[in-house]
Amino acid sequence: MSACTLRCDSLGVTYRSQAGKSMCALRELDIEVRRGEFVSVIGPSGCGKTTLLHILAGLLEPTAGSFQLFEQDGQNSRTALVFQENSLFPWMNVMENAAFGLEMRGVGKTERERRASRMLERLGLAGRERDYPRQLSTGMKQRVAVVRAFVSEAPLLLMDEPFAALDRQTRMRAQQELVELWESQRKTVVFVTHDVDEALILSDRIVVLSASPGTVLAEYRVAMERPRGFLCEPDEESYELKRRILASLGLVAELSQYSAAR
Amino acid sequence: MTRTLRFAGSAWLTALLLAGWEAMSRLRVLDPLFFPAPSTLLGTLRTLTVSGEIGRQVMYTLERTATGFGLGVICGVAASAVLTLSARLRRASEPLISFLYSTPRLTLLPMVMLLVGVNNTARILLVAMGTALLMMIQISDAVRAVNRDFVDMAVNYGAGRLAVIRKVYLPACLPQAFTALRLAFSRALVLTISVELLNCDDGLGSMIWNAWQTFAIEKLYVSIALAGALGLLFQWLFLQLERRMTPWKEQTA
Repeated sequence: MSACTLRCDSLGVTYRSQAGKSMCALRELDIEVRRGEFVSVIGPSGCGKTTLLHILAGLLEPTAGSFQLFEQDGQNSRTALVFQENSLFPWMNVMENAAFGLEMRGVGKTERERRASRMLERLGLAGRERDYPRQLSTGMKQRVAVVRAFVSEAPLLLMDEPFAALDRQTRMRAQQELVELWESQRKTVVFVTHDVDEALILSDRIVVLSASPGTVLAEYRVAMERPRGFLCEPDEESYELKRRILASLGLVAELSQYSAAR
Repeated sequence: MTRTLRFAGSAWLTALLLAGWEAMSRLRVLDPLFFPAPSTLLGTLRTLTVSGEIGRQVMYTLERTATGFGLGVICGVAASAVLTLSARLRRASEPLISFLYSTPRLTLLPMVMLLVGVNNTARILLVAMGTALLMMIQISDAVRAVNRDFVDMAVNYGAGRLAVIRKVYLPACLPQAFTALRLAFSRALVLTISVELLNCDDGLGSMIWNAWQTFAIEKLYVSIALAGALGLLFQWLFLQLERRMTPWKEQTA
């Protein structure tokens, strides 16, 4: 049940493209995630963020370096993925989707439905258990995907821009809910996003990746107290942190050059 | 109310054409010998039904269609499973499949007859072949089109090979499989009637050909209309089955 630690040692992935050219997606990546920590990975598109999650999920073998997942009881760690799109199986209803991880772990139907429905209720999805994904809004679909990840017993959650397709309000609510769930269950989370504000609201730590091939450019600890309402009333500390993150992504520099040119 | 309106929306043109036909035939704008009025044909339909001829011929046709279709579905699905598992076999069989698929099925009848003789088996085998080809191509296509994300997701949550097939591949392919079944049945029916028309002593197809040969024009029209009605009926039945079996799909009219 407990959360795990994750360590990547100079992880690298080199693809061979169809033309036979080799393409380096990730290079010399060192990341450590402590148990129960919420880490966001941020970077420009194509920096290999998704590739990193696929490796951590065990769906892709790294071509260089290694990574380790530790769990307290020594069991092999399991991970739970949440995608931005195609996050739910269209042919399963909400309940079947939410309880899928438990089903694959061999948990009996009554027990898994009991656990899933408790969590579904918590996220305001009570009464929608028999609906199919096509009957849900994007926000609700992502909630169900989050529920599935949290009830799956996996200690490490891997989220690939799960809220990127949501409108601003739905997104803010989803972020709050995610933080609340995480605070009550203390799973380890690796959260990929390209939204600096989102990373600031959610994370304990932010890892900034460079453009292709992705490697760690900088790391920032987000020490602000939770719950974080600093989007409404930005304080000095978060403002400065955001500026530094944007600068390491090369975005602030561009802005200041732009204003200088004017 | 909307149901009635929808029905009216799709029926008015047919009704108009039938009424026009009826009027022109009665007013002798059209020669009633060649184009008997629909009301006359209705009488013919009744006579042929009461005499039992229609029931008999339709049963012959349906029996051939169903046997060929059933056999074809089994072979087609099995073949697509084999081709999905073996890339080498898939590549090797591609030219043959493409050739058979682009050859009008009916032209293969003589070849099949050389193999098994001029009998009912040959007719059924031809229908089975048509069905199997379509099923094989459609199912293989459906399997290839399964979104990688769903497979990844299932594997990530601990699904083994069997669970991935049962929980992802099967349901993901089901909609296209049902569409394929519907298309394949209508192909099978068309093929059966064509074969009967060409070389057979019973069934709807031979009824049409005999009516033409003996210049039984009313019987000709009735049997053609029956062939079309049978096709429509089964299209509808398969569509209902598809909707029932894939409730998660967006309903398209």
